[in-house]
Amino acid sequence: MEGKLPVGVGSEALDEQSRPTESRAPALGNVGLGRREMNVAVMKTKAEQALTENFASVEDQLPGGVDARKVRHAAIGRFGALGLPNRRVEAWKYTDLRSALKEALPPSTGREVDVKPSDLAAALGPLAAIDAQQIVFVNGAYREDLSKNDTENAINVGSLAEALSSPEAATHLSAEGRDDDPVLALNAAYATDGAVVRIADGTKLDKPLLLLFARAGVEPCFAAARNVVRVGNGANVTLIEAFVTLPGASQGGQENMATKVSVGEGASVAHVKCTIDSVNGTHLANWLVDLGARATYHGFHFTTGCKLVRNQVGVTFKGEHAQIDISGTFLVRDSQHVDTTLVVDHAVPHGTSRELFKGVLEDQGRGVFQGKVIVQPNAQKTDGKQMAQVLMLSPDAEFDSKPELEIYADDVVCGHGSTSADLDEELLFYCRSRGIPEAQARALLIESFIGEAIEKVEREDVREALVELAGRWLAEGGTAKGT
Amino acid sequence: MLEIRDLHVKIEDEDREILKGLSLKVPKGEVHAIMGPNGSGKSTLAHVIAGRDGYEVTKGDILWNGESVLEMEPEERAAKGVFLAFQYPVEIPGVASLTFMRSAMNAVRKARGEGELTTPEFIKLIKDKAQKLKIDMEMLKRPVNVGFSGGEKKRSEILQMEVLEPSLCVMDETDSGLDIDALRIVAEGVNSMRSKDRAMLVITHYQRLLNHIVPDRVHVLADGKIRKSGDAQLALELEKSGYAEFQEEAA
Repeated sequence: MEGKLPVGVGSEALDEQSRPTESRAPALGNVGLGRREMNVAVMKTKAEQALTENFASVEDQLPGGVDARKVRHAAIGRFGALGLPNRRVEAWKYTDLRSALKEALPPSTGREVDVKPSDLAAALGPLAAIDAQQIVFVNGAYREDLSKNDTENAINVGSLAEALSSPEAATHLSAEGRDDDPVLALNAAYATDGAVVRIADGTKLDKPLLLLFARAGVEPCFAAARNVVRVGNGANVTLIEAFVTLPGASQGGQENMATKVSVGEGASVAHVKCTIDSVNGTHLANWLVDLGARATYHGFHFTTGCKLVRNQVGVTFKGEHAQIDISGTFLVRDSQHVDTTLVVDHAVPHGTSRELFKGVLEDQGRGVFQGKVIVQPNAQKTDGKQMAQVLMLSPDAEFDSKPELEIYADDVVCGHGSTSADLDEELLFYCRSRGIPEAQARALLIESFIGEAIEKVEREDVREALVELAGRWLAEGGTAKGT
Repeated sequence: MLEIRDLHVKIEDEDREILKGLSLKVPKGEVHAIMGPNGSGKSTLAHVIAGRDGYEVTKGDILWNGESVLEMEPEERAAKGVFLAFQYPVEIPGVASLTFMRSAMNAVRKARGEGELTTPEFIKLIKDKAQKLKIDMEMLKRPVNVGFSGGEKKRSEILQMEVLEPSLCVMDETDSGLDIDALRIVAEGVNSMRSKDRAMLVITHYQRLLNHIVPDRVHVLADGKIRKSGDAQLALELEKSGYAEFQEEAA
């Protein structure tokens, strides 16, 4: 669907898919991610109880002064009231966290684990080839011994654990108006560390800044961390977040991540998140992004890891003429569940937003894409386009796509679409008739399918690493074997 | 030699028979043309030789060098030297033509027990052949057939054919969508591949391609069977008389 939409017209999917897609009318005036419907109080689950109780036992070990403590208390209180989101909460309709999270693992409070740099390189795989400033966190705790940063004064990278003793603690831990999000509340309550990055006005960084979050140790734990990134006016930076599991570490684990990015006027930020960690873990992540005037922000999600992944992105246009592109690819097999939920809020005129997500679903893999675009009444001349496409390589795979347009301005161009299909038989035959064996032909076509999304990553070194990661994923699994 | 014996083919899950006892022999060193009206089974024949899914051979056989190919996967047939030039070459976004051709060539070479070419060897090979077909190397850096004109797609097919060095070339309506200049370039490419070790089957609706690629034999396919065979002169006669007599006969 493309074209001018009159005031208040909601979503209407351009569907060419073989499976039903959810399209729903906008819930007017309700812009939050973690909206909770009016419902009766329910029994707390074992995990919900443990998450509240564990906080009491570890709060003294969590970093921060009085201010931080106050925010943490308020946050765990909010979580207690909200509970884990379940399918009756509209924003979590397809990802029932309450029933998926059977237990709460013991929180990591940053215990030292012996980690060798070679373990990090092995876990990073192709990403290790990117020449980057590297800030390392193990089980949610900053590790200066493993980090390397030679930018000197160009950027200031500190640890959140330290920053939480400063007067800015409350700002760092704030929910940015998303007080109704229980996952974000848990993050504020439990965050042990993270990177606090200040990039001065006009700074151009040649090397990307890699924030590496590693899971280590044979005992699975719950790690929560939060990054706070402020990019100065006119600055230009590439930020990579990588989530990995070290060799020999537990394949389980629970992670709750939040990254706040504030993009200054005329600044340009590329932000790539690679979730390639343990196969049995749970990974919940939030990006909270706001954009100044004429800012450019290119976000990308590459996801192969974890049993359950929920990537939430909230973007707010604060200045006019800003542009964003949020794209990604998710490669899902076995009984993995990968959820991408976007809320793009065009609060001012002349904003441009593009989203392209491409997924590959095998076995009983499930993909979820929810993309909400809000155009506020005064946000005229907004230009928004969104597309989510999946390859369904198994009859047992499932894809749920829910685009939502909430448009309150009358002079805008917004569109969205969603498709799901199996590999094109005609293409497959073409490749095979040229002598390319079926397995290789399938891999080639899958790479070509997700390639359109990966192309969005502008840096060649990062793009090549992602292509290589995708290739490894394909080589590991049954995709190439055919059906 | 390509030998097709009493071939009966229907579409899978349908009752309607498309090929109804087709027999044909194309010895090495010869170029044969198959002409026929729309819906006579020309494309089906091409696809069945190459091993496309979706068809069921209910009777008969296809032998290439004395060996039945019916149980072979398409890639095995390619390794044995079978090549099908598509009537509608498909677009593969995100895969550069050069990468694709290299994958195909190395796969075929590997299956034939030959070593892979080095990058400089491969590039040199492509450059020489592309130049003759008036294909710009820049075009080959683009994804397979994406944004190519009709003529560019067909020339790209011939380039792939030359690179893979098949011993049986099946060309499905290679002339469709070509202007006269493109037709001449394509025909020159095909003619340059004529050899005593190679059999070629040119499928076309119109006679005009056969002015440029002069066949050794012409067969008329109508209603699933070869209705008439002759030398190149037969194509010229068909141009005048059309396919009416065969269609009436079939009806």
